[in-house]
Amino acid sequence: MKAAILDGIVLGLQYGLLGVGLTLVYGLGGVLNLAHGQLAVLGAIITALSFDAGLPIVPAIAVGLACAATAGLVLDLTLMRPVYRLRGEPRVLLGLLLMLGLAFIIDGFLVWRYPIQSLSIRIGGDPIPILGVRMRTGSLIASAVTIAAGASLVAFFRLTTAGRAVRSVIQDEEGARLCGINPARVRTFIFALSGFLACLVAVTRSMTAPVTVTNGIDFTTLALIVAVVGGLGSVSGAFLAGIVLGIVNTISSFYIGTYITTIMLLVAAALTIVIRPSGILGGRT
Amino acid sequence: MSLLVLDDVEKRFGGLPAVDRVSFGVDEGEILALVGPNGAGKSTLLKAISGLQPPTAGRITFAGRQLAGLSAHSVRQRGVAMVLQTPRTFDSMTVRDNVVLGAMFGSTTGRIRESEANARAEEALEFIGLADRVDDEVGSLNLHEQRFLELARALAGKPRLVLLDEVMAGLNETELAASIDIVRMARDTLGVTVIWVEHVMTAVMSLAERIVVLDFGQVLADGAPADVMRSPDVVTAYLGDGAIPVE
Ligand SMILES: Nc1ncnc2c1ncn2[C@@H]1O[C@H](COP(=O)(O)OP(=O)(O)OP(=O)(O)O)[C@@H](O)[C@H]1O
Ligand SMILES: [Mg+2]
Repeated sequence: MKAAILDGIVLGLQYGLLGVGLTLVYGLGGVLNLAHGQLAVLGAIITALSFDAGLPIVPAIAVGLACAATAGLVLDLTLMRPVYRLRGEPRVLLGLLLMLGLAFIIDGFLVWRYPIQSLSIRIGGDPIPILGVRMRTGSLIASAVTIAAGASLVAFFRLTTAGRAVRSVIQDEEGARLCGINPARVRTFIFALSGFLACLVAVTRSMTAPVTVTNGIDFTTLALIVAVVGGLGSVSGAFLAGIVLGIVNTISSFYIGTYITTIMLLVAAALTIVIRPSGILGGRT
Repeated sequence: MSLLVLDDVEKRFGGLPAVDRVSFGVDEGEILALVGPNGAGKSTLLKAISGLQPPTAGRITFAGRQLAGLSAHSVRQRGVAMVLQTPRTFDSMTVRDNVVLGAMFGSTTGRIRESEANARAEEALEFIGLADRVDDEVGSLNLHEQRFLELARALAGKPRLVLLDEVMAGLNETELAASIDIVRMARDTLGVTVIWVEHVMTAVMSLAERIVVLDFGQVLADGAPADVMRSPDVVTAYLGDGAIPVE
């Protein structure tokens, strides 16, 4: 039970990191990035291919992360341009359709070109006891990376002027423009960051379980659930939701079975929408 | 020399002109009050200048360069800062953080360092009289203080022109006097030019050096306050709106 909760927290931080990109992109421009998980898998597969091509694992990961971030950047500067020119419902709908289409394209391409490729980073060493629970080195490193990334993100949004500029656009785009902030540039930066973070989650995940070419939809679904439960547009909400859902996940798979977890998470998301439509923190950012 | 020149500026919403071929110039250092009945197009004209709602036709020349067509953040960086009718401060941040955003991104002197932005923010808050509230959350400020905060955020970028939209509405007498003083001081000590939309006529008469009256999107009168308010056209326009609103 203690192990399940500890596992849940670690998993939850990964969920948070996965959801935060989706939630920020939505908060900034109303686009629900349904290709979020596909960007994660794209980066992971590029990491695996780079590794297979002979690159040591750390540079290979760097290549994957850079590619995922660049993919986000390029998407924002191309596919998203006509979307942001629209307002209101048409923007939400066009964004949804384009990103869904992109998800299919990335999935299709990966399955066609690299059907059996997967990323699985194995880290040796004996399990190390943490709070009386024996943890494998892989999950320890994954947790450390995740915690460091989460803490950096929180510090960025709380403590730096650039981070506050991002929050200001989420809160009130017109008010931000009056301060001299360029919302388009903020959106481009965040789209790139969200690609980077999604890929980072896929990489850390691959330290405990393989990430395959068909995992995109799973990542996207998870990110969506986390963003909804945390409140779309809320960074701290995404992390809190991630942790809650991580614990729900490990406990339900511990007592009931793995097959039930996604259903449990969807139930949690649905309940949140009914009880607290704007997320567990009930506010934005 | 005129700092700002409006030339046949027009803003249409679905065919209907809210601002209808408006032309006038504003000299550097002037305090100009823009008045007129509700729906006359005052806010729309300010938003057209600031780039929030670009004009559908006409030219806006600021310090010799075209503003029409630029987006709001570029207009701000060129030296035109605007304060809207309802406070648009960021509630989840402190007073200081709000002003630092304006100092950093609204800077008219190009990119500045974080330390410089902080210094400019402190300076603006000092000027406006909110220096002892720097670490407070915006939510703890009253309406008057929030308006002052927004003015500080505007001034922190070192603009040459500020556009104020009804920033004195709903204030008590002390607050009103303080607001009048601070706008005058901003002009006198910082040298900013002010275009200011106002319904509170006592404030207009005590602060404005020139009044432009808008009615149905057009300039109805333009001149010294005493002359303008006596002009028959202006009296008629206001009578149609229920007499001159002296508060
Ligand atoms: N976004 C918009 N879409 C359509 N019409 C608009 C829009 N904004 C303003 N208008 C119209 O333009 C006209 C001028 O409005 P504006 O807000 O500029 O008037 P105002 O002089 O500022 O009035 P007030 O003194 O009430 O603030 C009004 O008829 C208004 O209905
Ligand atoms: Mg108005």
